[in-house]
Amino acid sequence: MSDNFAKITRRGLLGTALGGAALLATRPSFAAGKTLNILSHKVHQTVLGTGDGDLLADWKKANDAELAFTTFDSNPLQDRLFREASLPSTDYGVGYIIDNRPTPDVAKLFAPLDDFLKSAPIENYEDIAPGLREAMTVGGKTIGIPVRHATGGLFYNEALLEEAGISAPPTTLEELIEQAGKLTFTAKDGTPVTGMIMASDLAVFPVSFARAYGGDYITKDFKLLPKPEAMEKALTVMADMFKAGALPRSYATTKNDDQVTWMQQGRAAFTMITFARYKQFNDPAQSKFPGKIKAVQFPKSQSYDGEMSAVTESWGMSIPANFADKELAWSYIREVSSPRVTLGMAKNGNGPVRVSTYADADFAAASPVAAAEAKALATARGAFPPFAEAARAQQLFLEDVQLAVLGRKTPAEAVESMAKRITPLLPA
Amino acid sequence: MRTRSLPISIGKAFAVAAILLWSLFPIAFIVMSSLKPGRDIFAVPPKYIFTPTFQHYASLWSEWGVFFNGLFNSTVITAGATVLAVTVSTCAGYVYSRNSSRFLNASVMFLIIVRLIPPIVVTLPLFPIINAMNLNDTHIVLMVLYATFFVSLGTVLMRTFIDQIPRELDEAAQIDGAGRLTILRRVIVPLAAPGILAVAVFVVVFAWNEYLFAFIFTATRAKTAPLVISEMIGSIDGVDWGILFAASTVQLAPVLLFVIFMNRYLVAGLTAGATKG
Repeated sequence: MSDNFAKITRRGLLGTALGGAALLATRPSFAAGKTLNILSHKVHQTVLGTGDGDLLADWKKANDAELAFTTFDSNPLQDRLFREASLPSTDYGVGYIIDNRPTPDVAKLFAPLDDFLKSAPIENYEDIAPGLREAMTVGGKTIGIPVRHATGGLFYNEALLEEAGISAPPTTLEELIEQAGKLTFTAKDGTPVTGMIMASDLAVFPVSFARAYGGDYITKDFKLLPKPEAMEKALTVMADMFKAGALPRSYATTKNDDQVTWMQQGRAAFTMITFARYKQFNDPAQSKFPGKIKAVQFPKSQSYDGEMSAVTESWGMSIPANFADKELAWSYIREVSSPRVTLGMAKNGNGPVRVSTYADADFAAASPVAAAEAKALATARGAFPPFAEAARAQQLFLEDVQLAVLGRKTPAEAVESMAKRITPLLPA
Repeated sequence: MRTRSLPISIGKAFAVAAILLWSLFPIAFIVMSSLKPGRDIFAVPPKYIFTPTFQHYASLWSEWGVFFNGLFNSTVITAGATVLAVTVSTCAGYVYSRNSSRFLNASVMFLIIVRLIPPIVVTLPLFPIINAMNLNDTHIVLMVLYATFFVSLGTVLMRTFIDQIPRELDEAAQIDGAGRLTILRRVIVPLAAPGILAVAVFVVVFAWNEYLFAFIFTATRAKTAPLVISEMIGSIDGVDWGILFAASTVQLAPVLLFVIFMNRYLVAGLTAGATKG
């Protein structure tokens, strides 16, 4: 037994170690011709299509270039992008960046694109939603070109509404609260239904409720809680919903993915999530209610006369300042931002950043939520602007929101605590 | 021999059953979910009886081809790291076992201290260095890193194993004219084979599942399977749980089979030197 082991192990040890190391030590070379390396999420690559549906086939031919995508999930992607951009030089020509990440310090890592916009303009650039363009402008410099947005809407399960005798989705926040109360029941098939489900670890929900009353969390000019009474009302409403069972008992641990599975299983009647999830909610392979989960704009309170801004998150394409061939990178960005590619990506499931895309008949016909999404996008803005301590501030904000919803703090105490703890974190 | 009382036996049986349930339930849940139709995965109440489908595996193949590239990379890196770690640990363990000096004793302490350093502390400063060496996104960098982090534990384990081999065997071989290297190859390695395999099990399990180093130091060419799975989990267009569970099952199976197969050596590794006087 020992002898056998000795023979195998010796060869294995020496042969594999030396052979393997020699084979793999050399870094594989890049493909022939130009290669543009891109750091993105997988979805950004997927929506560009492949094979006959490759939206960039002509661009590749014209530029004699190939694209090499390196994909990560959102947060690791941002981490990697900033690390690459902080090196003396990088092989990555284009990086996809989330709108609430570029603080002034981060923005310095990327090439300002204003000169490119003048020398080789993007076709009908003004057509890109102004809020999204503004989100990619830091210190007056454009550091990214918007490419995708995820704007929140109110999803409802039409079958459950009908079962509870409700004929139409809510048009005001008050109606939403009332309907969510009615829809906290046991469905005919025995499934216990909760009126509404929302993740407790995302700012988007309390921010939307506060905006429904004309308030906000942090404005783009860094005013914290510009209308504190609106935030207080929002927290009161959410706490009441929790007390009445219209939010899950597991609210404190509810995540984004729970929202999706609960809606698909008919365990919740309402949720607020990006319009892009429509397909997933209604996929017959995953959902018990295909075709029955629909979306409208998140409603504002009847007591508020102003404009209701939906919460949106957008992605932009940026060029790391330490990348050599910026012309090639810009050429790619121009092509991807064109009306033709924007429409093509939208048909492949991308949230289109151009207003004109929503007017396309084919796209509108293929996406039942396109009209509601276009309406929401027109005035949408991020949950909060980027700043160095944004993550810490969000954590403190959510702590107070959760304590208020769970009844451990009064809404007034929570709002007071937010003001006290978050103010020192804001930029001077 | 004492006869166990019935309540104690029942209590022990319950304890074992509870531990088994605790350990096996997550694995069973993953494997079962990978075979359930998508809409039944999170059904309430849970569906334990269902018609199995391999649809998720087919979708994994068609939609996430990169996962299988990741599996290949994981295999190459795990094999390389294991061979490297085992080779170095065996040589170092032999030196520590057969030699003694103040410097060597102090360096054992150093090995243990190195093991206590959180990997993240050394990872980020390494990034620009690895990049400057043009080694980023290569298999070799992960092989070396994984091996490095296991050499300390491996060396201590191998030293314990080799300590149990009588020095008289070395001396007999020396009298027959064998040098140090020959003694190591022909005497020590065959007798320490269970220890070598125990160290290999530790390295394989670590390298196969590791995420942090792979995330920092790879991009496309050396991207490992755990990185691809993490992309599936956080997908911004929604998690397809069926595909995710199928990928987890495929990722889990080889290392689970390997560990079951090598179980006795793993136990030997854990208890090495436990009874040494």
